[in-house]
Order: sequence, then structure tokens, then C-alpha cells
Amino acid sequence: MAVQWSHCGRWITAAKSSTLLETICGLNRRSNTFAVNSLLGTGTVAGWGNPGLFSRHVHTTSLGSSLFTRYRTKLLYQTPKLCSCKRTHSDAKLIDPFSMAQNDLNHLYDDIKKELFVSKSELKSLCDYYFDGQGKAFRPMIVVLMARACNIHSNRDRDLLPGQRAIAMISEMIHTASLVHDDVIDGSDKRRGKTTINEVWGERKAILAGDFILSAASMALARIGNNTVVSVLSQVIEDLVRGEFMQLGSKENENERFKHYLEKTFKKTASLIANSCKAVCTFYIDTNNPRLQGSLLAGQKRFVLTVGLYPFKVSILVNSDPEVHEIAYQYGRNVGIAFQLVDDVLDFTACANQLGKPSATDLKLGLATGPVLFACQQFPELHAMIMRRFSSSGDVDRAWQYVLESDGVDQTNYLARRYCQEAIRQIGLLRPSPERDALVRLTEMVLTRNK
Amino acid sequence: MTVIWSRLSCIGLLNRGQRNISFFSNTTPSNWNKVVSDAEKIVGYPTSFMSLRCLLSDELSNVAMHVRKLVGTKHPLLNTARGFVYDSRNNLQMRGLVVLLMSKAAGPSQHTSSDLVSQDMVSGIYPSQRNLAEITELIHTAFLVHRGIVNLKEWANSDGTLKDMQFGNKMAVLSGDFLLANACTGLAQLNNTKVVELISSAIGDLVQGIYHEMPNNVEDKSLTDDITMVTWEEQMFLSHGALLAKSCQAAMELAKHEKDAQGLAYKYGKHLSLGYKLNSDLQPFMKSSSADPVTFGLNSAPVILHRQIVGQEKWHHQLQQAKTIGTQIDYTKLRSSIKLEDGITSTMDLCRYHSSKALESIQFFPSSEAHSALENIARAVTKF
Repeated sequence: MAVQWSHCGRWITAAKSSTLLETICGLNRRSNTFAVNSLLGTGTVAGWGNPGLFSRHVHTTSLGSSLFTRYRTKLLYQTPKLCSCKRTHSDAKLIDPFSMAQNDLNHLYDDIKKELFVSKSELKSLCDYYFDGQGKAFRPMIVVLMARACNIHSNRDRDLLPGQRAIAMISEMIHTASLVHDDVIDGSDKRRGKTTINEVWGERKAILAGDFILSAASMALARIGNNTVVSVLSQVIEDLVRGEFMQLGSKENENERFKHYLEKTFKKTASLIANSCKAVCTFYIDTNNPRLQGSLLAGQKRFVLTVGLYPFKVSILVNSDPEVHEIAYQYGRNVGIAFQLVDDVLDFTACANQLGKPSATDLKLGLATGPVLFACQQFPELHAMIMRRFSSSGDVDRAWQYVLESDGVDQTNYLARRYCQEAIRQIGLLRPSPERDALVRLTEMVLTRNK
Repeated sequence: MTVIWSRLSCIGLLNRGQRNISFFSNTTPSNWNKVVSDAEKIVGYPTSFMSLRCLLSDELSNVAMHVRKLVGTKHPLLNTARGFVYDSRNNLQMRGLVVLLMSKAAGPSQHTSSDLVSQDMVSGIYPSQRNLAEITELIHTAFLVHRGIVNLKEWANSDGTLKDMQFGNKMAVLSGDFLLANACTGLAQLNNTKVVELISSAIGDLVQGIYHEMPNNVEDKSLTDDITMVTWEEQMFLSHGALLAKSCQAAMELAKHEKDAQGLAYKYGKHLSLGYKLNSDLQPFMKSSSADPVTFGLNSAPVILHRQIVGQEKWHHQLQQAKTIGTQIDYTKLRSSIKLEDGITSTMDLCRYHSSKALESIQFFPSSEAHSALENIARAVTKF
């Protein structure tokens, strides 16, 4: 991501005639090269998946030209593989990711409610409010499917480790905590068809409830007992806040603006999915852990370890290999961005009750999302409106009209599709499994969902 | 550095001509300032002014810029921001300081494991313990900010204000979240899941404590009636003690000290916080001149103890007598009737009890400068 965007300016000056969309997709393809290279062990940019570290990636620009040559050859090499992925894609039509993950997620909400242990009843009811089983549990579903797919890839054993299930739960908790705070920030009164917490109990209590859910998530995270998992998911919390801050400002320059938008989208939506996916394949044997050393010496491959509440069956093979968590991360990142792009489209196309919130909410909040940014290319009049955050009277309606008259919606959908294709390519690098196919099928659902 | 100064002066602008307004309403015994500044010297350098990393971030400079727009509004975030710059009580960083002193007083562990090298220590404190002290302050500050979020419906009928309040809330949510997120990543970097769990639970405690804080002017006496000293202590521990107690304990865990040392550090933090809270609850009753306007919480310790001593009936009578036209309470009048009974002396006794409990918990720590500083701090809370 970072590489992708640090190249942005360059690419655009090199190809002035190309449209924004071509630019982005071009870049996207180019960024794939990096992935391919690093996966095949030829790239030198091992950490490029971390979008937070811009400075770390700057040096890669000097490798640009050599990587570009590699890109051509690798693309040739990759082509058959891409085709095979497409085939998997159509075969996978029958697999419904939701029902496949169902067993693992049966008691998800009950378990979350148990984590939210408060003696005082009112705070308890605020915290439980959105864990009513009405949510889609989209994030936990991806997480458990990814965990099983990675387990199969690494050791041909699809069993879900308790720590992996805990991560699925934590991902939903972090997500919910951020929704509660977002609703206060945006002043929303409806969420998933329900009245929001701030509307019922007031802003002050809503914020505290969000903080409480976050602290409970953080405790559950700590109890997994794995430092790497803790730091991977703490990064998400930071990204969520930084993403929210990014929404406060608008950029004057068009290309800057798109870069800003996609970076914000990564931070606010994709980071949680990407890092949760990464976290489930991050269980490894901590050789400094005295509780494990005995077993390690004995050459055992699996053993049960109890950390806090969770009895751990640690598999030595889960994830010794860094490539797997990079694949998982990239899948999550691409699906996450696509998910948000589609969400931004639905804000223009879905009717109010379908999404559980009124439409054009983003415009009303002063936010210029993908469809508007694309529309701005056809209708430069939008530029001024974007800069004043649609604050003059009639701006929202006019902007809405411009978007619907432009290709903004189609182009955003197309961009989402490109991100999904990259997700499919990434997941295709794992060993085949029903879970992997379900994750492929899931990208389709992301693109076709209408609510 | 210039960035910090411009940022501070930016917040400072808000404060012009209002220097006497401190975030903490009551004043301190001068003794306290001395104890704190002496103690700061012992830990090497004063607790960093929050985290530099945090202050220098684009995010906070963004907030500082926006907070300017709140000048002239009534949003509590403004006062909180003022408190960062002009804090007459000098106790903004108190929690971090205690964590550092506790770390230093306990010293390196006897059974130092391989990953803890005592050479890494600066002024007898491990870097991880310094980070913890900073995290403790980040969390404390985050909740100062989140405490000040207002309920918009209560402002809905005063037009014009609603927009300000909405904006102030937005800034408060974001900056509080930003501080908390930094605390989270900082915690993760400590590489100790026990500490992460402990401090996360302290955040949960803090939320529960704040959730049940009553607004200052609770008029409904039925709300105050069921609060006993037992519930007072439970709630105050959650809102004012848990973070310090658990941070002190975590500082011991980071140095790989045994469970009992951890327990003692926890006790010190807990009793010190309760003693400190009792001390500040007593302040409105200590001012001699009746000319000063005075207010105090009807759920503050002296009032609760007073109520328990004189009985429900007499208390209601006194409360009734102190009511002026409408439902306003004449606090000066109420204070004089409270002063006639033993509620205040009982509060002082309770404060001394917590101070001695704090002292007791550290008595077996080796004697050192840091140890005496902790003792001085525990004694200072009994100076009224």
C-alpha cells in the first residue's frame, strides 16, 4: 500500500493522459509485483505490507526499475496461476462462507457478553446492545475461515486453535467499540436499524461504553498470551483512530485526495480485517517460554498449554512461515478495502432502509468518498464542494446528482473488483481447501452485496 | 521543540486572563508541591511531559488547532486543555511519578532473568517501567478528556450552543481515543501480556468508576441516600485508585518481582489514591473565610460521613434548610451545619488510616531516597 502510493505522484507525471482509475489500477498491478517478489523470496521489501511505515518503504523506490523488469517476467509466470484461481472461483460458487463458519461462530455473541463483565446493570446493557446476534459477524467469519485455511496450508490440520477463535471474537469487539464511538462523532441516530447508543443513553455514556468494550477486548487479547498477537491487534486500534483523524481534513490536490481516501479506507476498515487475518497465523512457539521448553526438547509436535482461561493446543507448524501471514494480511487488506469501497457505493445506491441507515450520509457528513472523487474528474464543479465539505445549502443534492450522472459509481465498483481480484490472487497462494474456496466466494459476496 | 511551544502557546491562548481557573477546582497545601518536586529529582528526570511522541503528532496538533474554535463556548474540553498547560496543583503527572518511584524503590529483582539487564537501568529504573509510567499518564489524561463529553440533548434547547457542543464532543472523543490508542500500542511494546491484561483491566475499572460519577449538583436526595462509605470507597477505588494501584503492580511485574512485592505495590497505590481523594474531598471544608463561594459534592466523603453520623432525618432537614428559592443549595450554609458535627474529623481519620496503610505496605522495601519520597507522598496526603 505504502509503496503503491509513494509511487503515485511519479506514475501520474509519467502517464499524464491516463485517467485516475487507470492510474490506480496500474499501481495496483504494480504493487502486486512487490507481493509476488517478496513471496517468491526475490523481493527485498519484506515489511512492505505494513502501511503505517512510510519511511521504511521509501528506499524501495530506488529498486523501482529493477522490480519493474521483474514484474514483466513474473507476470508471465503468474498468468496460468491467475487462471487457475478464476477456475476455483466458479467452482466455489456453492460454498457459502457464512454457513461454513457457522459452527465456529455459534456462541460468539454469548462469549463476547461473558467478556464484558460488569457488575452494574446499566453499563452492561449498553455494552451488550450491539451484540444482539443481529450483526453479520462479517469479520469473525473471515477470521475463522482464514485461520482454518492457514492451518490446512501449514500442517494439513484444519482445527481451529482456541487463540484463533479468541481473535475472531476480539475482532468483532474492536469493530463494535469503534462503531459506538463513530456514531457519537457523526451524530448518527440509527445503526443496523436500531436506535444508536448515544441517542438512547446520551453521548457521555456511549463513549464510556465504547471504551469499556475496548478494554474488555484488550484483556481478552492479553489472555491469549502471545506478544506478537497483542502488537498486531494494537496496531489496528491505532489505525482506527488515525483513520478517523484523516477524515477531518480534505486535500486540495486531486491525486493527494485519492491517496488520502484510500489510506483512510485502509485504516478505518481494512486494517482490522488484515491484521486479524495476520494474527490468526501468528501463533508460534515462543522458545523462551519455560512452559513450552520441555515439550520442545521432547520433540513433540502438539501439546496442550493452558494460558489464563484458554486451554491452548499449540501446533508447532502453524505459522513458522512468515509468508503465510503475509498472504493472510494481503487478503484481508484487499478484501477490506473492497468492502469499504462497496459500502461507499451503497451510500449512493441503496435505499435508506436497506442499509439500516439513511443514504448519502457520507455527503451529509462532508465526506468525499470514491464515487464523488471519480465524479469530480468528469464534473470539476465538484471540486469546490469537496473543499467546503458540502457545507453550502444544496451542495449535498447537487453532488448527489453529479455522482449519479457520472461514472463514479461504476468506477468505484470496478476498483473494488480489482481489489477483490488481488485478494483472490493472494489467497490462491495457499494450499487448496474448502475454507480457501469459501474465502474466494466471499470476495464475490462483498462485491454483490446490496446491504 | 518549536513545535511543542507553538502548540502550547496555541492552547495557552485560550487561557489569557483566566490563569486562576485551574482544572482542579481546589487548591493544594504548598507542602504537596515540594514533596512532588523533590521526588521528581530522584527518578532522574521529570516524568516526560506526556509522551513527546504523542504531543508531536499531527493528530494532536490538529486537535490543538480545533480546540481554539471552542474558545468562548462552555465545552469542558477547553478546561481540560487548559489544565495541560497551567496546572497549579502540579499533580497532572502524579501517577507516572509514583510508578517511577515505586520502580526505583523496589530496585532490580533478586532473580533477574536473562532479558533484564540492570545496566539498562537509568537512575535505577528499567526503560519498560518508564514506558509504563508514561502509559499510565496517557490513560489518565485520556479519561480526563472523555469525562468531559457532554450529552447533546441537554443542550438542545439553547440554540447556537448545540453546534459548539457537538464539535467539542467530536474533538474530545478523537483526542481521548488517540491517547488511548497510543497507550494500547505502548502496552503491546512492553512485551508482557500480564501487564497488558492488568492495565487493560484498570481501563475497565476506570470506565466503570467514571460511569457512575454523579454530576456535581445532584439535587435528587434519593440518589445520594443510598451511597454509604462502603460504596463510596468501591466507586472511588474504581475511578481514582485502580489505575495507580495496577500500574504500581505492573511496574513490579516488569522487573520480575515476586507476587507479594506486586501485592504490596498495589496496596500502596490503592491506599495512596484513596487518601489523596479524601484529602481533596476535605478541601472545601478547610477554607476558613466564608466569603469564598464554595461548592462540594453531596456524595463527597465528608458529606456521606456526616449523613451517617447525624442520621437520615436530620440530614434531610439540614438540606431543606440550606435550600434557597428554587432548588439551589446554599453551600456555605450547608457547610456550616456540617462543620458543627464530626463528619469532617471522621474523614480526616479515614484519610490518616489510608495514609498509614500506604506507609505500611512499603515498610519492608529497602531504604532509599525513592523509598523516603514514597513515604513523604503518603504522609503529605494527611496535611489538610
